[in-house]
Amino acid sequence: MKSPRNRIETVVYSLPCLALVALTIYLPFVLSGYYSLTKWNGIAREPVFIGLRNFADLIRGDGSFMRALIFTGEYTVVSMVALNAAALALAVVLVKDLKSRNFLRSVFFVPYILSMTIVGFIWQFIFSKGFEDLYKITGFAFLRLSWLGDVRIVFYSVVLVGVWQAVGFYVVLYVAGLQSIPRDILEAAVVDGANGPTKFLRVTLPMLSSSINTCVLLSMINSLKVFDTILALTKGGPAGSTYSATLEIYREAFQNNNYGLGAAKSLVFFLIVLVLTLFVLRLFRSRDDAA
Amino acid sequence: MILLALLYIYPIFLMFLNSLKPFGEVVSDVIALPKAATFQNYADVVKRMQYFQLFSNNVIITAIGVTGIVALASLAAYVLDRRRTRYAKLAYLLIITPMLIPFQTFMITLLKVMTVAHLAGSTWGLGIQYWGFGVPMAVFIYFNFMNTIPRELDESALIDGATTFRTFRSIIFPMLKTITATVVVLDVMWIWNDFLLPLLMVNGRPETKTLVLSAYTFVGQFNTQWHYAMTAMVLTVLPSIVIFIALQRNIVQGVVAGAIKG
Repeated sequence: MKSPRNRIETVVYSLPCLALVALTIYLPFVLSGYYSLTKWNGIAREPVFIGLRNFADLIRGDGSFMRALIFTGEYTVVSMVALNAAALALAVVLVKDLKSRNFLRSVFFVPYILSMTIVGFIWQFIFSKGFEDLYKITGFAFLRLSWLGDVRIVFYSVVLVGVWQAVGFYVVLYVAGLQSIPRDILEAAVVDGANGPTKFLRVTLPMLSSSINTCVLLSMINSLKVFDTILALTKGGPAGSTYSATLEIYREAFQNNNYGLGAAKSLVFFLIVLVLTLFVLRLFRSRDDAA
Repeated sequence: MILLALLYIYPIFLMFLNSLKPFGEVVSDVIALPKAATFQNYADVVKRMQYFQLFSNNVIITAIGVTGIVALASLAAYVLDRRRTRYAKLAYLLIITPMLIPFQTFMITLLKVMTVAHLAGSTWGLGIQYWGFGVPMAVFIYFNFMNTIPRELDESALIDGATTFRTFRSIIFPMLKTITATVVVLDVMWIWNDFLLPLLMVNGRPETKTLVLSAYTFVGQFNTQWHYAMTAMVLTVLPSIVIFIALQRNIVQGVVAGAIKG
């Protein structure tokens, strides 16, 4: 049914979406590419074209961007491992026929529906005030550590809060994956003499591979973009040790008013995220082919 | 396991608990139960934050955003799936590709573009902006679902003389109910709790602020007055928690479906 009328309709009904995406995403994105080649403070009428100087500054400059990238990388790796391990462990328990399992699944999911900004504030309160008073009662030494004030510890505080907020989401995905494994396959494995751990490693895990792929990819992308929780929890401190890449871009543009340099940073960050995403996707595809 | 779960939500419990205490009790002991639970903090904070104004801003922004995303994306996904022309393939690709572009990489110039387009600084403008940001994933989800609806259905309607739009409205859209629920759940959660875009677009005036945004400023201001900070935080997350308790099953299913398709 390829009448001209149909053709026109196809265009008309899809055009609003295309136009909106072009206006809100493609246009700013392309402009951002242009601004990365300029020096502009956001107030002056015209940005000044300076070629690749911003990118040279990124490499030679004060190293703040490099530090933010390294922090983001470490944060992403640790969060991915912690999130997926914790979520998988919880999911394995929560698919069992416990009476309270629906209640338990909901409990772990609740932080995920909260605003990440508020989650950051809740934990700021817990770390600074709650831990102090809990220590008075329990005497556990770890409660006395300076969770937000010590540069060596604050990294783990930030990871902890990120994991606490998001783990419920991955639990639900893993539970769905575990439920879709046919029971007879697991029973057959038992009949063939597989014990608990072997059954899990050789049967359950391989059958879960598509859930694992989804969770690993999503946890990577979300961790790379971490922003709200850190802004509320530490504002990048202490001593700038928890600036994530996105927070650094925000600071450069909207607090230091270096729009050009900020745009250059965002472009580099975009390329890193894109390459990592495509790399992980390809990795999964080749592994699926081999399996 | 239940113990672990209780420990897990203990921070949220502490937030509620301390919002019911006067300042002195929060300072002296965070853990203890309030001597006499009081809602005085709530009365104070509701007034100081202009809570009802913020709440209605959030409702307006979320409603405009989600309605637009659902309407535009489902229609576009329908025609793009049914008419596999070269244009349709290209348009689909162009619409879904932005899912790979992190928001923070173009937020700097976004503010400039939106100011020129007169979409910055107002609640309805912000709602419309969400159309652009929400459409890629919504089209993707709808498009993947579309081939579960038999083509014979719409073809027979077209032969009976219904227009494409009519066929979509009275036959296709009602059949998309489950997947629409998924899109609605994901987008409501996202828009209601979003922070960075409102921070850039509507932070200027108190009349346009969103709940989370206002809570951010409020907690910043009352940083040392924990009893007010806790109350503001509770008031901000309370709508999400109430809705979650009411629609638990739908929300969890929607999130799972969205993640697997998306």
